[in-house]
Amino acid sequence: MDIFGSFALILAFLAAAYTFAAGIAGAITRRPLLTRSARHAGMAVFGLVTLAVASLEYFFFTDNFSMAYIAAHSNRALPAFYKFAALWAGQEGSLLFWSWLLSTYVFLALFVNRNKHPELMPYAGVVMAGVQIFFLTLNNFVASPFGVLGGPDASGTMRLAALGDGHGLNPLLQYPEMVIHPPMLYLGYTGFTIPFAFALAALLGRYPGEKWIHITRRWTMIAWCFQSIGILLGAHWAYAVLGWGGYWAWDPVENASLLPWITGTAFLHSVMMQEKRGMLKVWNVWLVFTTFMLCILGTLLTRSGVISSVHAFAQSSIGNWFVGFLALVFIVCFWSYWLNRDYLRSDNTLDSLVSRESSFLFNNLILLAACFAVLWGTLFPVLSEWVVGNKISVGPPFFNKVNIPIALFSLLLTGVGPLLAWRKTSFDALRRNFAWPVIIGVLSGTVAFAFGFREIYSLICLILCVFVTLSIASEFYRGARVIAARDGSNILTAIGDLTMRNTRRYGGYIVHFGMVLIFIGIAGSAFNKDIQMEMAPGQSLAIGPYRILCQNFDRVANSNFESERATLEIFRNGRSEMMLYPERRFFLASEVTETMVAVQSKPLHDLYVVYAGRSPETGKPVIHAYINPLVKWIWFGGIIVVLGTGLALLPNRRAALVLKPLAEQPWGDTVAKSASPIGAIARSSDAHD
Amino acid sequence: MTKSRVRVRALLCAGVAALCLTAAVLGYVLAVHAQETQRAKTLGQKLLCVCGCNQILTACNHVGCTYSHGMLKELDDRVARNEPDDLTIQAFVQEYGPTVLAAPPTTGFNRAAWVMPIVVPLIALYLFFEVVRRWRQRAAIATASGPAVSAELLARAQREAGKDDDEQR
Repeated sequence: MDIFGSFALILAFLAAAYTFAAGIAGAITRRPLLTRSARHAGMAVFGLVTLAVASLEYFFFTDNFSMAYIAAHSNRALPAFYKFAALWAGQEGSLLFWSWLLSTYVFLALFVNRNKHPELMPYAGVVMAGVQIFFLTLNNFVASPFGVLGGPDASGTMRLAALGDGHGLNPLLQYPEMVIHPPMLYLGYTGFTIPFAFALAALLGRYPGEKWIHITRRWTMIAWCFQSIGILLGAHWAYAVLGWGGYWAWDPVENASLLPWITGTAFLHSVMMQEKRGMLKVWNVWLVFTTFMLCILGTLLTRSGVISSVHAFAQSSIGNWFVGFLALVFIVCFWSYWLNRDYLRSDNTLDSLVSRESSFLFNNLILLAACFAVLWGTLFPVLSEWVVGNKISVGPPFFNKVNIPIALFSLLLTGVGPLLAWRKTSFDALRRNFAWPVIIGVLSGTVAFAFGFREIYSLICLILCVFVTLSIASEFYRGARVIAARDGSNILTAIGDLTMRNTRRYGGYIVHFGMVLIFIGIAGSAFNKDIQMEMAPGQSLAIGPYRILCQNFDRVANSNFESERATLEIFRNGRSEMMLYPERRFFLASEVTETMVAVQSKPLHDLYVVYAGRSPETGKPVIHAYINPLVKWIWFGGIIVVLGTGLALLPNRRAALVLKPLAEQPWGDTVAKSASPIGAIARSSDAHD
Repeated sequence: MTKSRVRVRALLCAGVAALCLTAAVLGYVLAVHAQETQRAKTLGQKLLCVCGCNQILTACNHVGCTYSHGMLKELDDRVARNEPDDLTIQAFVQEYGPTVLAAPPTTGFNRAAWVMPIVVPLIALYLFFEVVRRWRQRAAIATASGPAVSAELLARAQREAGKDDDEQR
């Protein structure tokens, strides 16, 4: 079976190489047969990598501990749920998983466009195959997941060996979200390959117009959505598993996932300039290139050990491959741009600084500034070591200080942008659109200040959140009012109608609203409280409105782990409200101990309790309790972002005129009553474009 | 007033005074302790645990972490001794190296860490305005100049315009 998997991977590599070569030959010679065979080979890669993945999963479920990867990341007692997820628990498996997701995307892109864009697809196929070749090279020759355990015996003959049981899955990964979080993030990372391939293909083939933007918009949004889900699930996992009371530590690997998300966000906004006004062509092409390169850089940071991180895989030489690939991608992108830069001339120029275009430009500038600040802070330890010879740490205080003002400015633009008109906004329109959101935003800030809300950034965030929410609401209201007046429908029906007529625009607003909720949740962290105490049974501690009474400590065990568990009764206003059970688990296979946090989540705050172990001095159990305000808003905001993106992906429903024949009437009456010469009335009907 | 009453009153007064004093001392001790705890927490947020977890010292909760407990105890001791913040931070840097600092110091090359995230967006902003200025300039020139007219066409137009003038006169 191991040979089967390896063989499938080798074939996949050969198929990708053929796709690449035949695609180039087809594009040069313009022979359709070559192009078609290249496309078929590209689609076959998906089937072959799927076989390799299925084969590795088979080894996990059959506990084949003669396979090095299975022995390192699984054990007999591991629940089936986690055996499935162990595929991406280590370097080799996660790279194979990456290749599989990439091949899935490539298959779909080739299949969906099989009869479309004959001038563009051969080039796009070649670029996608080029990326696949790189990852399949790693899978086959650098980090194969199909290595077997064994060695030479006394006579020098190679013998296979098998362990009785495996080392087990990393305990930190034995959490339901870790089954979903990496695939989501990888779907984001790999998904950005498709817009990258189309952008590079359009540039190489000098494909006319903005067609490549239209083709890739949905692919970009899908990748962006997965990246958003991945980031949020990662944050939730950190919150619920790592037990330090927070959800974002500005760890290099977290930052690596944020970087392409930021540039992807910038791209999703700036493409509108190209679509509507034929502007920012160079900028858009480079945003897509940068997003893809940041995906590769993120992978490099995760896997090379260049920067220390709790998330990173073990240090390995695989980083050199990524550096090489990154350099190659940059050279190809720059060369393609240089050769075809005249093709990227703008059709229009900016008419006014107070316009939708300039707000998009500012938005891009701010997002790029945020991206730079995160990248700079992430790489600065390495830079510092190179320049002055000693490594320096760049932790949360730096990132918070630098990024909070940038993020707040970006939030401001989220509210300002939609209220500005394309080309030029008049002063009257400005006053009309901005007056109420600004007044109510400032009023709410004043009220909050009067009630003792003195954290400056949180206060600004509150004002901006109110402003943005109102500006979004006013956009919906103004549009819906027109429809309601015309159709005689109620305002809610009109809002639904309006949204479905321009899903992209109104879906985008819903995404913005989701971001507002996320910002509110983040602003809540300024009011976190925590207390740590040694507690014996019968003792209690007070935090916020709660009193936590320690009832007892006990031990529970199963075949996978042994757990020391605290039983805590939570009182609020003197009344018993709930029981919480924070734990410390000792995982038998890996012999590692981890904490299991107990969280009581409410809309206004979370009560977050960690059993931090026993004090080394007194031997007493230590309980660390936190009150984290508004954390739930972050997860809820995330759901709204995903729903908004889903809505924006739907096709528009538009009003269409349908001719409906009148009921038969006497000729004279018809002529007398009908204003229309053909004796028909028009009614509105809905249709999808 | 009997002697015993006076004695009881005196005892009562002494008791109340002792109670007040105890409460004041206790309050002071608690306030100092709270202040120390807050100071230790603030200082702890400027430091990283050196176990390799990359977490803020006060947030490190790694099971079996051999560093954070000792570092926090040392921090508490220094705060209790009322040692100045700078000296405490410096002492940690001496003991654990510069990687113990959660953010780069504002000295030497490390200043670049703080300066660049401000300078680069400013440069970008300047470039943004420069691009906009050029765009607007180009648009203005294009509008003012209009389509190119050949010398021959121009002469003909002038001739015809002159003829019209003559006719009008």
